Amino acid sequence: MLAGKAPGLQHPNSNSILRGLIITLAYDDVNRTVTKRLLEKIGCEVTAVSSGFECLSALSNVEMPYRVVILDLQMPEMDGFEVAMKIRKFYGYHWPLIIALTASTEDHVRERCLQMGVNGMIQKPVLLHVMDSELRRALQSASE
Amino acid sequence: MNTVVVAQLQRQFQEYLVSLYQQGFLDNQFTELRKLQDEGTPDFVAEVVSLFFDDCSKLINSMSRSLGRPESVDFKQVDSGVHQLKGSSSSVGARRVKNVCISFKECCDVQNREGCLRCLQQVDYEYKMLKTKLEDLFNLEQQILQAGGTIPQININ
Repeated sequence: MLAGKAPGLQHPNSNSILRGLIITLAYDDVNRTVTKRLLEKIGCEVTAVSSGFECLSALSNVEMPYRVVILDLQMPEMDGFEVAMKIRKFYGYHWPLIIALTASTEDHVRERCLQMGVNGMIQKPVLLHVMDSELRRALQSASE
Repeated sequence: MNTVVVAQLQRQFQEYLVSLYQQGFLDNQFTELRKLQDEGTPDFVAEVVSLFFDDCSKLINSMSRSLGRPESVDFKQVDSGVHQLKGSSSSVGARRVKNVCISFKECCDVQNREGCLRCLQQVDYEYKMLKTKLEDLFNLEQQILQAGGTIPQININ
């Protein structure tokens, strides 16, 4: 688990909405590294984890108010949906926000996401501007 | 700083990078990766691709073992490996590697061991080829920096 304390970057449309703590969960080094850097680039503070257990542990740390979990759904040997379910079970439906990363555009994936209380979905591979706008959208609608 | 030399190197770099896209080695995701690199993280792209090539090596080795004995192929394990490889190659913009993974998955789905072995060989070739190409690219970057210049930001359309 890596705690990222990246300085906030000046972004043309920057506002405090993105300066939140985020956990990103992905199985392999490449995806974890890329997603973490992507989030830092848009101004987030990121903790990168590689297991559901680490994710839940990080969330239980009261000193670090994580707002969002970026969850890779297609991980070998780990069911992303199960992790989402556990997050909702332990922390309720309003917090943290969960944004799922998926390679699939199939309807049943979308439906399952909604059932699990996932707040947003992004198709892989993740583009910088897509992550930015999806995060803003999810954070904005959560604050309404 | 010799501006003529820098300009020459920058042009070489640009042409080489563009050729990698044109020949299908890289796709837009590599461009995205380059966007994530800045003065604070000057080695980001090199580090990520290094992780990727390590992954390739490990996954290819384990899939090779799984495909080893014809009478006891663990296609589930191979499928998992291909899936991972497809995911990470997609994340870094390694287009040819990713495309082989698509065919590889199809062979896996129908439990075609011969097909899988062929794809395995191809994926091995492709990642090693890309590794060499990117080493050359990073080399050019270093030359530019050492000559006192900056790496050009290139728009690939």
